[in-house]
Amino acid sequence: MNLRGGWALIKSMWLSWMQHRGFFFLLAFGWMVPPLIYLLVWSTAAGGGTVGGFTRGQFVAYYLVLILVNQLTYSQTNWTVGDVIRIGDLNPWLLRPLSPLYHALASEVAGKVVYMAFVVPVSAVLALVLRPELHVTPRDGLAFVPALALAWGLRFFWGYWLALLAFWATRADALLAVQDALVFLLAGQVAPVALLPGAMRGLATALPFRYMLGFPVEVLTGQLGAAELLSGFAWQVGWLALAVTLSALVWRLGLRRYAAVGG
Amino acid sequence: MRYLRLIGHFVRASFQQEIAYRANFFISLLHSLLNLGSGVLGLAVLFGQVETVRGWDFAASLALLGVYLTVGALRGLFIGPSLDALAGLDGEVWSGRFDFTLLRPVDVQFLASLRHWRPLALIDLALGLGVLGLAIGRLGQSLTLARLAAFIVALGAGVTVLYAILLAFTGLFFWSPGFLFTWLFDGIFQMARYPVGLYPGWLRLVLTWVVPVGVITTVPAQALSGDLTLGMLGGSIVLALALLAGATALFHTGIRRYASASS
Amino acid sequence: MAEPQIVVRHLSKTYRVPEREAGLVASLKSLARRSYRDVEAVRDISFTVERGEVVGFIGPNGAGKTTTLKMLAGLLYPTAGEARVAGFVPWKRQADYLQRISMVLGNKSQMLWDIPPLDTFHVLGEIYGVTPAALERTLDELIELLEMRELLAKPVRNLSLGERMKCELVAGLLHRPQVLFLDEPTLGLDVSMQGRLRRFLAEYNRRHGVTAILTSHYMADVVALCPRVILIHHGQLLYDGELNGLARRLAPFKLIRLTLRNGQTKTDWRLPPGVDVVECQNGQMTLRVPRAEAPSVTAHLLNALPVADLAVEDPPIEAVIDQIYQEGNL
Repeated sequence: MNLRGGWALIKSMWLSWMQHRGFFFLLAFGWMVPPLIYLLVWSTAAGGGTVGGFTRGQFVAYYLVLILVNQLTYSQTNWTVGDVIRIGDLNPWLLRPLSPLYHALASEVAGKVVYMAFVVPVSAVLALVLRPELHVTPRDGLAFVPALALAWGLRFFWGYWLALLAFWATRADALLAVQDALVFLLAGQVAPVALLPGAMRGLATALPFRYMLGFPVEVLTGQLGAAELLSGFAWQVGWLALAVTLSALVWRLGLRRYAAVGG
Repeated sequence: MRYLRLIGHFVRASFQQEIAYRANFFISLLHSLLNLGSGVLGLAVLFGQVETVRGWDFAASLALLGVYLTVGALRGLFIGPSLDALAGLDGEVWSGRFDFTLLRPVDVQFLASLRHWRPLALIDLALGLGVLGLAIGRLGQSLTLARLAAFIVALGAGVTVLYAILLAFTGLFFWSPGFLFTWLFDGIFQMARYPVGLYPGWLRLVLTWVVPVGVITTVPAQALSGDLTLGMLGGSIVLALALLAGATALFHTGIRRYASASS
Repeated sequence: MAEPQIVVRHLSKTYRVPEREAGLVASLKSLARRSYRDVEAVRDISFTVERGEVVGFIGPNGAGKTTTLKMLAGLLYPTAGEARVAGFVPWKRQADYLQRISMVLGNKSQMLWDIPPLDTFHVLGEIYGVTPAALERTLDELIELLEMRELLAKPVRNLSLGERMKCELVAGLLHRPQVLFLDEPTLGLDVSMQGRLRRFLAEYNRRHGVTAILTSHYMADVVALCPRVILIHHGQLLYDGELNGLARRLAPFKLIRLTLRNGQTKTDWRLPPGVDVVECQNGQMTLRVPRAEAPSVTAHLLNALPVADLAVEDPPIEAVIDQIYQEGNL
């Protein structure tokens, strides 16, 4: 583990990203808008009463937490790793005593700090304006931290192995588009998973997307009972293990192909 | 007349560029279908839980989605690609190739707005019109000639407003090159997926008077469902023309600035 | 006598550049108050160019060459002064004017990237209103002269830099402009391609009498194509005339190349004032001598030293120009 190299990488990336922070704030704004729209739509639908067991304030709370969790777990590996492989710039990385994983991770850390610099204040202002209803029990609060960490890990490694497919395919559009649509529908964005119609809810529980985004939000907002918490964690860990395995496997296969085809 | 012929040539040249990559067609189709699917499913989930939201039911909201997709398709057909070629990520203004556009013995605004076409957006157009058709069927009311006429006029006004806003943003790019205004607009435009009436008062004001995306989609949708007063239709036409005049002036001022400030 | 094709009087261009220092505090300050600096890119330049002339603009980077060219092309508004090109005021950007001129930029491409060059040529033909028949004829001639028939079917992104430059020239000439502005057209090209493009431009000018202004860093371009040069430095016009005249005026010295018998090299000589040893390599010495003294120094050397070979030369243009750039004045 090259800690010095990793830390230096993070610092340099952070400095260069801060130079273009206008650009990144704009990106962060763009990502915030869809959950914000659903926040407004659902809270208007709830009006004075409830919809599916959620009051207006609870919808607001759910989506504000979602915005923060989304920004913290959002994966950029497609750009940082995928594009690099596509363009053929992998050689400089291979020459350094740091695996590309470090680069991807460094971008993650640097990026998150810049994005959160925008998202946190904006969410705070929104909270003041929209008045969320949030009561966090100690159990939920404690469970939230690992849920969030695992969600980040899952989203990162899932994105990582998909980005590594760039070794074989020159275009990732199709895959990304499908992935985005699935995340949109099943991860708790278009609606909290509890409000999805039967068939979709089943899919959402089985597929990894909910565990990347919706699950930690549900934990913090107190939607889950003890049994659901445990089964949720089980699914999360399972999917994370699969994602890590796939990442390692695809990396090895990809590297072999890269060396064979010529960098 | 000559300008019409030029448009024909531009469309042909763009089509040739588009089919240079065969994969484009299938990926575009996939994107369009996913966009459509997630939009409709999103509405279905919402209206699976409630009957109406502030007077808008599933059919009316579907009509709005249809308008949104149709307008989006028209934007993707020529307005978007042409203006993006100027002010987008690797645009002419940023890279300095705008000089060539200025050298042509053809009106610059004409070139900036109609130069690049994306024929594949016709897929989106077909899908958008399909959704509109579906919505009209569900609305159950007969589509009188008057309502159809009002709808077409409102749609025309809406597209004009869209063009004017994007042109204005392109003009602003001359003062602030590097700031991706269109991304900013995309975020705001997403809000037009839902009826403006669903949003809280202050946001409704912003979306009607500051960045009038509400006029782009909500007004034509209301024309279809019969909720459009003549006053509102007249107002939207006036707004469209005023915005167009303002945006054109801004754009031309921006060009003067480019010619004074660059080296 | 016909009016000159290009008339420039007291043309000036100054811009305001925002100033920003590095660091977090400075960038925060700049949010509140912007400070500006005035940059005089072009200062009071005047010259005329006759129809059919090819003029070279030379000068160091940032001298104002490209800025002047862009003003003449109508892309920039001057701060002061006037100009007329082909009877038009360039920055009014009238369609009739734009129809008659063309600009080729060495580091920017106007070709559409993913499709064969011919498709871009057709679109440009339409934009400039060239009839299909005329376009056909012009393209044939240009493609013939540039020897690029095999390139026409390949997408532009697959072409090499030199091949792309050929396309840029065709794109710039297919509407038969009267005036051609060339900004560093041979930038980044290998030596043989540079030569080929120079021959093309010379031939084209011979056939069609197009008036051209060329800027270039490669002296070989200027020497090959421009009987007349204009030297611009710090925005000012320092010299306007023949290239040889420039050398004579700026570098009133000659070079004496000297080889001694037995390959000796002298290191301890007392040279007359104004005479310097510039180079000493492989048994050959190069002396720099004021022009007027060349004959007497030559005679002295022949008398005093065991000379095997001696040649008296004009300094290379590059050296002259270098000296100007370094010393910054005439």
